[in-house]
Amino acid sequence: MADTSVIGRASFVRGRVTGDGDLEIAGRVEGEIAVSGEVVVEATGLVAANIEGRRIIVRGAVKGDLVASELVSLEATARVVGDLRAPRIAIAQGGLVRGQVATSGGGAARPRAAQATAARAPARETARREEPRREEARREEPRRVVPAPAPSKAAPAKASPAKVESKANGPAPRGATIAGSRVGPPPPVVPVLKKGTKAVQKKR
Amino acid sequence: MASTVIGAGITIEGEITTDEDVTVQGTLRGKLVAKDAVTVEHGGVVEADVTGGPVSVAGSITGNISSSDRVDLQNGAKVVGNVRATRITIADGAQFKGNVDMDV
Repeated sequence: MADTSVIGRASFVRGRVTGDGDLEIAGRVEGEIAVSGEVVVEATGLVAANIEGRRIIVRGAVKGDLVASELVSLEATARVVGDLRAPRIAIAQGGLVRGQVATSGGGAARPRAAQATAARAPARETARREEPRREEARREEPRRVVPAPAPSKAAPAKASPAKVESKANGPAPRGATIAGSRVGPPPPVVPVLKKGTKAVQKKR
Repeated sequence: MASTVIGAGITIEGEITTDEDVTVQGTLRGKLVAKDAVTVEHGGVVEADVTGGPVSVAGSITGNISSSDRVDLQNGAKVVGNVRATRITIADGAQFKGNVDMDV
């Protein structure tokens, strides 16, 4: 415990944070974070950095890749734009992610190889990117209190969990609506991607 | 507890800007700008210019220190750099090399 470092909520760090020990971020960090212990991004935390650690727990906002040797856990208030890589990944209801999700035992070597192949085949990249999100949605479905049996990418399936969400998650309306719509066929992040890909196609 | 702590074993290379207390037990290279107290504990290494409120040093600082309040160099402290403050104490056993600038 003595080795826990804290970036307080009124603090702003620009640069590299490295070393041994745990790190708790309630303020802002821009740059790079690589520590051997647990990294906790609190609800007030705002991180624009790639984070490496043994365990990464996110309750705030992160823009950057999260690579953990043990666990990445996104809690209900988490907002992450970036890839997740860890042997175990948890995304709570209401947690927002835009990026690739890969549960693999390896460190950075294997995911980087995967990224390279994705770059080589850009046409398949969007499909690849959609895959993990659909998995997420499927994974989350059993946890939800969904009365409708097996919602199979149809319009009613989209509507009913959204209603359940809004009733259950009163204090977090934004997260709730987005998380609810994620169950349906068009996850919130995919339209953004599709717009991008369309634009790219038009340019070509 | 609303403060920033750089624990032992942690190295920050870059700039820290904060409105609250900062305690350095690890290593900081770059720049430190605080509005409140800055404490460099025994074993803490700061290679940076430090701006803050009261600055208390038991570790090592290489860089200029500018304080709106007081600077205390405690036993075991090692400071290389200029110190600008309204009040300053240098304890027996503190190492200090640099200029002192006090508003007289």
